Amino acid sequence: MKDPKIHKSLLAIGASMLLAWVVLSPQQSAEGEPKAAAAGQQTLESQAMNVLDTYCISCHGPDQQKGKTRFDALETIDTVDQQALFITAQDAVHFEEMPPAKAKQPTAAERAVLLKWFKEQLTGTAANKLAEKLRRPEAGNYVDHHDLFSGEYADLPGSTEDRRWLISEYIFNEKFNRILKHTPRRDIDGKRYMVQGDSKRHLNLTNPFLLPNNAGIRYYANETLNGGHLLTMLTNAKDAADYMLELAERDRSYLSSVDSILAQEVANRKTLESRRQFLNHHIERVLQDIYLDKHEKLLPRFVRVEVPEPIAEDSDVKKAPYHAANPGRAEVEVIFRSMRRLKKEGQSNQEVIEACEREWFNFGHDARKIQARITFLNNYWEEFHNEAIKHKMDERLRVYEYKPLAEEEMWVITETIQKHRRAGDRYQDVIDKCLTDWEAGFERERVAAGPPTEEQLTELTQQLVALILERKPGDQELQQYKAIANQYTDLSRRDLIKKMIQTVMLNTDFVYRSEFGVGDADEHGRRMLSPYDASYALAYALTDASPDKELAKAAAEGRLNTRADYEREVRRMLSRRDQYYVIDESVDKNDVPNFTNMPIREMRFFRDYFGYAKMLGIFKDNKRFGGNYDNTKTRVVAEADRIVEYIVESDQDVFKKLLTTDEFYVYHSGNNEAMQVGSDRIKKIYNYFKDKGWRDFTIEDLAKHKDFIAETEMRGIDPKRLGGAAGRYNPMGAFTRQMESFEVRLGKGQTGAAPYPSFPSHGFNGAWNRYRGRMQSPQIARMWNIDMANWSYPAQQPAKIENRKGILTHPAWLISFAANTETDPIHRGIWIQEKLLAGTIPDVPITVDAVIPENPEKTLRQRLDDKTNNDYCMRCHVKINPLGIPFEIFDDFGRYRTEERLEYPENLIEKVKDKGEPHEDLRDLYKTLPIDSKGYLEGTGDSSLDGEVDDALDLIDRLARSDRVRQSIIRHAFRYFMGRNETLNDSKTLIDADRAYLESGGSFDEVIVTLLTSDSFIYRKQPDTTE
Amino acid sequence: METRRSFLKKSALGVGSLAMAPTFATALAQTVQDGVPGVVPSLLGGQARRFVFIRKSNGIRPNEVALPSFTEEQAKLDKDRKAMEVDLRDHELPEWLQALAPYKDNMSILQGLSSKMSENGHWSYSSVMGAFKSGRNSLSGIKRATIDFEMAKLFPSPFGHVELSLTGNYAAWRTGIVSGYSAPAAHQRNYCYADPMTAYNELFKTVINPGAVNSDNAMLAFLQNEENVKAELLEGYEKLKLSNHVASIEEIQARNKKLESMSGKIKQYLPEIDAVHANGGVNATTPEKQKAMTDILIAALATGLTNVVTYTIDELSTPIKGLPGNESDHISIHELGHNGGYSGRPADDIRETMRVGHVEQVKTIVDKLKSIPEGKGTMFDNTVIIYFPENAEGHHSHGTEAPQIIMAGDNCALNMLGRYIRLPYHGTEGHKTIGNWYTTLLNAHGNPIEHYGDFDLTMSRLKLDQAGAIQQLLG
Repeated sequence: MKDPKIHKSLLAIGASMLLAWVVLSPQQSAEGEPKAAAAGQQTLESQAMNVLDTYCISCHGPDQQKGKTRFDALETIDTVDQQALFITAQDAVHFEEMPPAKAKQPTAAERAVLLKWFKEQLTGTAANKLAEKLRRPEAGNYVDHHDLFSGEYADLPGSTEDRRWLISEYIFNEKFNRILKHTPRRDIDGKRYMVQGDSKRHLNLTNPFLLPNNAGIRYYANETLNGGHLLTMLTNAKDAADYMLELAERDRSYLSSVDSILAQEVANRKTLESRRQFLNHHIERVLQDIYLDKHEKLLPRFVRVEVPEPIAEDSDVKKAPYHAANPGRAEVEVIFRSMRRLKKEGQSNQEVIEACEREWFNFGHDARKIQARITFLNNYWEEFHNEAIKHKMDERLRVYEYKPLAEEEMWVITETIQKHRRAGDRYQDVIDKCLTDWEAGFERERVAAGPPTEEQLTELTQQLVALILERKPGDQELQQYKAIANQYTDLSRRDLIKKMIQTVMLNTDFVYRSEFGVGDADEHGRRMLSPYDASYALAYALTDASPDKELAKAAAEGRLNTRADYEREVRRMLSRRDQYYVIDESVDKNDVPNFTNMPIREMRFFRDYFGYAKMLGIFKDNKRFGGNYDNTKTRVVAEADRIVEYIVESDQDVFKKLLTTDEFYVYHSGNNEAMQVGSDRIKKIYNYFKDKGWRDFTIEDLAKHKDFIAETEMRGIDPKRLGGAAGRYNPMGAFTRQMESFEVRLGKGQTGAAPYPSFPSHGFNGAWNRYRGRMQSPQIARMWNIDMANWSYPAQQPAKIENRKGILTHPAWLISFAANTETDPIHRGIWIQEKLLAGTIPDVPITVDAVIPENPEKTLRQRLDDKTNNDYCMRCHVKINPLGIPFEIFDDFGRYRTEERLEYPENLIEKVKDKGEPHEDLRDLYKTLPIDSKGYLEGTGDSSLDGEVDDALDLIDRLARSDRVRQSIIRHAFRYFMGRNETLNDSKTLIDADRAYLESGGSFDEVIVTLLTSDSFIYRKQPDTTE
Repeated sequence: METRRSFLKKSALGVGSLAMAPTFATALAQTVQDGVPGVVPSLLGGQARRFVFIRKSNGIRPNEVALPSFTEEQAKLDKDRKAMEVDLRDHELPEWLQALAPYKDNMSILQGLSSKMSENGHWSYSSVMGAFKSGRNSLSGIKRATIDFEMAKLFPSPFGHVELSLTGNYAAWRTGIVSGYSAPAAHQRNYCYADPMTAYNELFKTVINPGAVNSDNAMLAFLQNEENVKAELLEGYEKLKLSNHVASIEEIQARNKKLESMSGKIKQYLPEIDAVHANGGVNATTPEKQKAMTDILIAALATGLTNVVTYTIDELSTPIKGLPGNESDHISIHELGHNGGYSGRPADDIRETMRVGHVEQVKTIVDKLKSIPEGKGTMFDNTVIIYFPENAEGHHSHGTEAPQIIMAGDNCALNMLGRYIRLPYHGTEGHKTIGNWYTTLLNAHGNPIEHYGDFDLTMSRLKLDQAGAIQQLLG
């Protein structure tokens, strides 16, 4: 057991002094203390050597070099290796990993001497390693748990340092959705809702702020803007600027200053566009009006294009179908319009084609396009006309009625055409020459107009800062922006605006959240967050978007100045259910909806904490799964999200339920009514036919039931074609196959049928999900040990599943903490140790070859024991293996088991076929050995819980009753919502959160309210750089 | 036994750079230090190497690259997918590869690699160059930097990596700057130039549009000054965070300066792009697009703007227009995969014509690079071109075979030129995957990574060894 006092003193050094060391460069130290430093260094070095001699050299010296490490001949180690050695040693001393627990321990002062000396030896980036490590969420547990919750430190004043916190990938998306007016929607349960969390904008941007995929806290205020972010943002800003200018020109309210600056240019462009469109539609008529009977003589001589012979009727070559041969929608429309205009009664196909070709030739269409159109018409004439009727092209494509433009415009057009038209010009030549003439004139006007005025630049800057940075620019800032705008005046006005958009967007305020205290400091040097910063801090705590209207209003009206103000807004936001969010874009699709309407960051806390979405990156062998695993992955994660949402939404005993629930969603949309309808439909069909001798049906027999088939939408059978003239239509295969499948699902007396399709086909496939998409991947049932050939499907879910207890027994979690081909008791154990027991595990020493040896005669547990059952490995593995091994009752697909398959070629008993019906298990059969899942729980601090455990279910049951586990979850919630690690100064905040949870009967909302109204959250303090 | 320590030590550059390149960021940040010789080039005689990855769609069927002059015994081995090796100089190349016949000494045909650990079927997206399953085209499925970006890290240049593509929506071309297929890092998708004129304007902007470059520089100077002022007001760690950003701005300014200093060389190799490619080149035919893109690709290498180009020469949705023999057809590559013919011409003939067009582009690259002196030889001496299918052995691929055609100059670090090499078939002893192939490329060029890419799960299930480089190809 560690001495908490030693720990505390080290933390005092670690958390503050070491951070302070980090920000002092080597030069600063050297300049600050010249001679004294030299003398002090000698002393320090000799002191450090004494400590090394006393505690380290016996194992890492001339006699022994454990871990291939020695400290007695440092001068013989090259500089790079020395730096690596000092980093490792510094970590080991700081985190008390060395000397080993059984060995004689240095005093706190001796450790401090060593740490200081190591620090002095480290240079460059190496010098920052420990400080950086201490800031990472994984290092949060190094603060002693007992100290945090004992109350001994509850009087220490809590606060967070003034800081700028880099935005997350999610905030990046919401920022750009807002700026670019992207308003994604989803049709959920038949109603259309706006959603957040969808980044499928028209404009393709690269998100440089992606979070890591690890389990735990993924978004922390440690990241800094680097060169990569900047490079990506340069491109993003450029693309966004183009898009925003287009938006501004379409919508005058978007950036009204743009309208003012570009008034003349916009008017000219509209004029140009109006003339272009008019001429494109009516050039022939205009030319005829101007030139009368001379028009024809000015036309070029018509030369037909060469095209291949139409495909012979009796060709052996498979002809590409219409959809793969048509030259694209735009071209098809051109063809249709010409044909509608030119086709005359009684003309042959070839005459129509020639008339069209002549028009296209006169217009000046590209000869290759004309060739392609004619080749297409020659080969697909009939299909083209059928498609035109089917898609109602005649109605959809309006006729361009000739309406002359205003008199002055027509005068300009006529004059310009007369100026430029030459004999032999195609229509497009005439149009192009006119447009070039007009563009040149407008360009002269633009140049003559000069740069925007001061007032216009002021207005533009104010609007851009408001739109992009969501604030008003300061006076000095405004002047600076105007100054840079004046450097852009060589550019056109449009390019100047775009460059200004880029300049504002590349301000670091765009990508950093500001969290600074304002006003007078209290006796501890703390100041409250400014109302503006507080509104963003609260909004980003619970969502990824800027403050909603009410929160922004509260900040603007001075109603975000007290703890009560914070509480009011937090409670209001927590209760909102009118905003929907896509939980994970890589999961959410029409087949697998993945949304929630609880504040997204509340939901995401548990998702990140458990880390069950990690499985999306783990791929597996379909053969070992016995079905299609790849297609199932997103459903597993979505259903894990669904059960988490269900429990958190109940807001009672949240932690306990998450850890112990035996009710889950399996192949379920979350809509009990829809799933019941899907399930009942199968029962209805099965019951209808089951006693009618369906196996012996002829098509005539089937036709007698066509009304029923139509009513129940039986798959692959078209009732309209039943009972008609005998032809080639024969749906008997589809009928028999689904009836056989339904018999599998209901013929053994099952109480309900899982509504999945019996075979692949388009259309309705058993049940609709909440986006009214198709339910897919019923094979997820295999992960829950459900025999699809005998599944009494419960339409009302969540429903009880045997041998499961909470999220840690959900296949999503079990796969996330598994390897590609086997389980991963080590990472499962580490997760329990760190996330539930607030324990610490040192980094894997670089001397360790962390591979479990193969052995076809042994279970994974036995192989792991072979590898780690020694003093050296057990120093860490004693905290890992006993917690991970109990989960061996589940395989790497999350299936419960009592026997482990020894999947080696030499153990193969039966090779099973590779393809089969959905309900068939296609796994090969191997020899097995019994599972030994016995483990050991230590670290709850509760003697009634610690001790030997039978398996994961026993382990989880004990963990769920542990105070330490509950408090550990609260510590992680603290990190998640504060974006930093807890210190002893946050003791009161944590104790309050724990108490609120208990007193409310296990409400996670109350934990959040407590955290976001705590001193730790609302007070900010300047970083102390004096130490 | 090799421990993590010894492995990490010897792969300080390799694994370190892979592990410590979490964003696009780091990958490109390295490239701004152009002019500073990297460690790896010095290992290879101080001479940077160039890599051209040409992705083609619809697969390459293994029998399409089999040599027509195989002896009966060789043909049987090849058909039975048994390991074998023959000297290309003793054989005829398949008809569609004939343009490269004069360069047999610089050619290798590599058969038998599998790519089952990447996406297969119609599309592989980013996965085939990263040897991972990406869950179709999902961003979060991008597991690591693709091999081209890894090679680009070894041979820094001002642009680092250039990606070109000719793709579309079946009816029309994609144009402008669009999302690409390569990945600079996990969860990052690269962008690519989708039409020759955009690529021309963006790559050679320093020379073509100096005004735009000037306003960029003014903006960067402004941002630098603005952030410096902010840094004065911040304390401690926050100050450090901002100073990193200021340093990044300075690096980009340095890169721009470097580009400006290269303007002479850029002008020298500036390609001429036909007017048909203006405004995205909506009327350009597929062969015209390919020719222009090839010119851009060569110029990007010749000017020294990049050492690595990835070029998606087509994709299933690329519209094929003006193809010799089917000049007036609007061809869908996807339909060719389903055996649909056009104007009475069978799909297989059209597919072959398309491959011939691709090979002509490869030949042009070889010819042009051979004409540019470098050191004691030519640029081609230091270049490796890999023409490969994005989706292995066919239109609906399973990833069991992914034939590769390699053209490389005389300084090639791989021991494979002049040979047709067939490796053991998938799921058998000694079989190699694209992961082994990419590992070979990395090891041969100075990155000692133990294994690049995910493992094949069939090989894992059968407990067959599959880590590391293909030793027979290492020189």
